[in-house]
Amino acid sequence: MPPAVAVDDLSKHYGDVRALDGVSLAVAPGEIFGLLGPNGAGKSSMIRILTGRARPTAGAAWVLGHEVPRELEAIRGQINLVAETPNVYQRATAMENLELFCRLYGLPRRRAGEVLEHVRLSDVAARKVKTFSTGMRQRLLLARALLNRPRVLFLDEPTRGLDPRSARELHDTVTGLAGEGATIFLTTHDMHEADALCRRVAFLADGRVVALDTPRELKLSLRGGTPAADVVLDDGADLRLALDEPGDAARLHELIGARRVRSIHSREPTLAEVFIALTGRSLEDGPAGEDGER
Amino acid sequence: MSPRRILAILAKDLRDAWRDGRILVLLLLPIGVGVFTTIANDQSVPSTGVAIVDQADGAVTRELRSVTGKSAKLVFTRAADAASARALVAKQEVDVAVVVAPAGAPRAEILVAQDASPAGQSIVELVPIALARAAGLEPPARPPVRVVPAADQKPGDIVGSSFDELFSILLFVIFVALMVVPTQTAEELETGTFGALRLAATGREILAAKALAGCVYGVAGVGLTVVLTGLDVSDPPLFYGAAFALIVTLVGFGLLLGLLLPNTSAINTYAGFLIAPLVLVAGAVFTFDSGILAALLDLLPLSQAVKLLADGVSPRQPFGAGPLAWLVIVVWATAGYGLLARIASRREL
Repeated sequence: MPPAVAVDDLSKHYGDVRALDGVSLAVAPGEIFGLLGPNGAGKSSMIRILTGRARPTAGAAWVLGHEVPRELEAIRGQINLVAETPNVYQRATAMENLELFCRLYGLPRRRAGEVLEHVRLSDVAARKVKTFSTGMRQRLLLARALLNRPRVLFLDEPTRGLDPRSARELHDTVTGLAGEGATIFLTTHDMHEADALCRRVAFLADGRVVALDTPRELKLSLRGGTPAADVVLDDGADLRLALDEPGDAARLHELIGARRVRSIHSREPTLAEVFIALTGRSLEDGPAGEDGER
Repeated sequence: MSPRRILAILAKDLRDAWRDGRILVLLLLPIGVGVFTTIANDQSVPSTGVAIVDQADGAVTRELRSVTGKSAKLVFTRAADAASARALVAKQEVDVAVVVAPAGAPRAEILVAQDASPAGQSIVELVPIALARAAGLEPPARPPVRVVPAADQKPGDIVGSSFDELFSILLFVIFVALMVVPTQTAEELETGTFGALRLAATGREILAAKALAGCVYGVAGVGLTVVLTGLDVSDPPLFYGAAFALIVTLVGFGLLLGLLLPNTSAINTYAGFLIAPLVLVAGAVFTFDSGILAALLDLLPLSQAVKLLADGVSPRQPFGAGPLAWLVIVVWATAGYGLLARIASRREL
């Protein structure tokens, strides 16, 4: 089966700035794929190219087998995007916002009501969007992205500014869509989100993919030969024990035998730590010598 | 391009304009200026009340209005019979009463108030002419009257009192094209909704919808201004054709402005620098009829449209603008939309 999303040696330059620099990757149908990187790494440029709103400087990109942006018309009704910014019409109601896109996609108006119900905005369908909270606007964005039942859904930092409950609901929706066969292409700099949702992730730094694998493999690649356990004892004391150290391993056995262990967790690196190890930079950093997202 | 998508975006833009206070002010301000100047001009025309007793189809009223022309504003009151008409004159509610005799009756009667205004007294002189015309007769013999045009009369003099209405129409078109259209476009780019639309429609469809919205505002506003100000258009095809051509041309440049300026604040800041010179150009057309400045003005679509509009308003066609005027407008419109298409295709919207 051909990939749902593929890019080959993709570059995007803005003057002297290389937002994307020879990126190649492929995303399988039904996969939740995460593109991770700090602000300015090139994530949004990638989304803009894949959704047909920007042209690559070099290389090529395909979505559902069609080259973008050249063949965008062929896939226009089969893709959608949850943008980073709440780009909805503030002076229109939630229902009017969605009805506009129903007309653009040639969908029946009742579809707007269905997706509003799905994101729990039915009660405020007739309210102007300018009165909405950030979370409600983000849910409206999601509703708009679901209107045309996209086969490929792009999400650009979708949970930025969301409260935990709304973020969890968005994750549930995304997981549900993938379960129905939709491909999810997610950009984020929230490594926990990527870890929880994505089957595979790619680390993007300075416009280049520096790693691409499952979250588990990426974490294992960093752990190397130093597995450890974080232990909390019955008296509240915390211990970190290296499992490949004979002394620490024996101590752990002893504590377990004496029933002094209240909790024990294997100590794994986070994706954020993997990213730092690979790039030497934090996810919170901006691009080298640049500010802002590209 | 998909008409369905264009119409959907057009409907959204029109609804959004209705809800946006800034846009409403920009649309209503020039119309208000037109109405205000019309009312102000009306105050300078003498007004007089005329009571009419006429069992026919109102032909006398029509003819009296026609022979009076713009020399006085007539306010007609229909009276049931001669006695009622006399009572209205006696109470000084009207200056003049015209009692038209029913068919077979000896003759009509004119009643005039003792203290009738000069306008009312003048109307008395015109009543016999109106009565004769209404009866399908030759008016009473009178010496021939010939209009002698003023020496060195400027186009502005020929357009006369219609100049103010014409000016408010031009102001409206300029406001729509260079403020309303770019503001709506820039706001979409600024807030990212343009990008959202781009997922479901092409850039050209979005721009076509915005150009159409500009034309809808323009056509509706020009029509409304003509109705509200009572502008007397002598050549409707010429007048409305010129207005439409100007709207289409300037809206193209307005869209360019919306794409090139970074946000709505910039439009508020810089549009004034465009609007003021355009208003000056519109006024200069009536001032410079020869020389280098006149030749330069002839190269601009606005000045050619002003000439066509003035020709459409006045039966004497003060400029006599011909095919060259249309050609200049078409060339500018083609250039503007060509540039717009080029920028839209090269710039990643």
